[in-house]
Amino acid sequence: MALSRKNIKDAGKNSKVKGEKRHADKNVKEKLTEVLELPKEVILNIPKMTIIGNKELVIENYKGIIEYGSARIRINTGTGLIKITGNGLNIKEITSEDVIIGGDISSLEFQM
Amino acid sequence: MLFLRLWNYIRGYVIILIEGYYLERFINICTHRQIFLWDVNRSSDIAMTLKVSIQGFKLLRPVAQKTYCAIKIVDKKGLPFILSRYKKRKAFALGALLFFFLINVLASFIWDIEITGNMEIGRMEIAEALFSMGIKPGTLKYKVDVDIVANELMLKMEKLAWVGFEIRGTRALLYLKERQKPPELVAKDIPCNIIAGKDGIIKSVIVKAGQELVTAGDTVTKGQILVTGVIKGKNENEPQKLVHAIAEIEARTWYEANGTVKFKTVETVRTGKTTEIYRLKLLGKETNIPFLKKMDFVNYDKIEFRKVLSLGKDLVLPFELLTEKYYENELVEKSLSVDEAKEAAENKAIKKLMDIIPEKAEILNRIIDFKQNNEDAITANIIIECIEDIGITEEIGGE
Repeated sequence: MALSRKNIKDAGKNSKVKGEKRHADKNVKEKLTEVLELPKEVILNIPKMTIIGNKELVIENYKGIIEYGSARIRINTGTGLIKITGNGLNIKEITSEDVIIGGDISSLEFQM
Repeated sequence: MLFLRLWNYIRGYVIILIEGYYLERFINICTHRQIFLWDVNRSSDIAMTLKVSIQGFKLLRPVAQKTYCAIKIVDKKGLPFILSRYKKRKAFALGALLFFFLINVLASFIWDIEITGNMEIGRMEIAEALFSMGIKPGTLKYKVDVDIVANELMLKMEKLAWVGFEIRGTRALLYLKERQKPPELVAKDIPCNIIAGKDGIIKSVIVKAGQELVTAGDTVTKGQILVTGVIKGKNENEPQKLVHAIAEIEARTWYEANGTVKFKTVETVRTGKTTEIYRLKLLGKETNIPFLKKMDFVNYDKIEFRKVLSLGKDLVLPFELLTEKYYENELVEKSLSVDEAKEAAENKAIKKLMDIIPEKAEILNRIIDFKQNNEDAITANIIIECIEDIGITEEIGGE
């Protein structure tokens, strides 16, 4: 995984050609995980989210917290930003792997 | 979640207030450095409270410096903080330690000996035998070998059939089974006579073996041969035969007893006044508790209660509280009427007789006679007539 991440980073920094290659690389990976039925969030470095009603949201495989308030939380992930709005939002637990957000969640938005 | 909360409590955590403009960055750095945070609450734009373990808290300072945040401890929670509070109380810890040590020391002695199962052997006799083996209140229980004690006791006391000895807590428990003496029977193949055990008048004789010498209506005295085991031949020449005589011989017997009752008696009546006196018994020695009231009754009944301090059922400690309850008595003179005196005298005499008359005897008749000795007393004379088996087997030439 670390290796692939490095590839992506390198790809981003360098030329357009490599960017296309990266796109192709991702498609191959996606297909591979589908064929082999591997957990996508690990291989593709995308978040896995578990939401319990509108009370609790668990985001695994996130990257960092961009904004944190009681009405709005934005979290950076492999697929872009996730915006959570609601009332009385708080972070119940936070580790390097996952974050658990509690409170009354009213919307969940993906910002690419 | 409960388990996690408990774990956090045991490890200890702090609730901290963080103030600054880069709170998101602060959280991100913390997670990146593997510092576990929970219950993060944004209280305002520039402040938030969160919980972090003690180990995590120690790593927060550089993070706070990096993000220009101020950390303030709101509360400290968990076991480590409670323990550190008690660390300073050395006397308390010493006392707790001493307590357990003393309990342990006291529990390693025998303080109570319980003897169960003895019917005829006196408790004192058994207790003395135990004392001579070194088992008494205050003996170190680790020195006592239970099996050896039981075996030695068996050898020492002949009357015992079985002995069980065990030490449970601070109590030594001794279970006994007494040997029952077998009745002295004359074996069937040994020739014997039947003799009279008591004086009486023969009522019936049923002989199964032997030759009867008495018939119904005969008066016999104690020791007289009733049925002989010697059977003579029909002729003079024929040799005599010896048999084991078996017979049931019922006879009338009489028992007599007197009971005397005075007309004027002194009865003790409780006045209703009571006092209680407490005493302590420590390590086998009785001590009075000072400054307590004394008993000042002249005539009294005394009831003693014994309360032993024990932990649970088996861990008896050598502290006893003795409560003596005294009931004051008054001596009241009472004069009985003739009828009352007669009844009392009769009861007295009958009580005496009941101890003498064997259980198997059938009571036929009772004759009561009253006699006024002087002015002040009456005597009841009771004769009870019974029917009972008076035969006793006795070996021929056995004496």
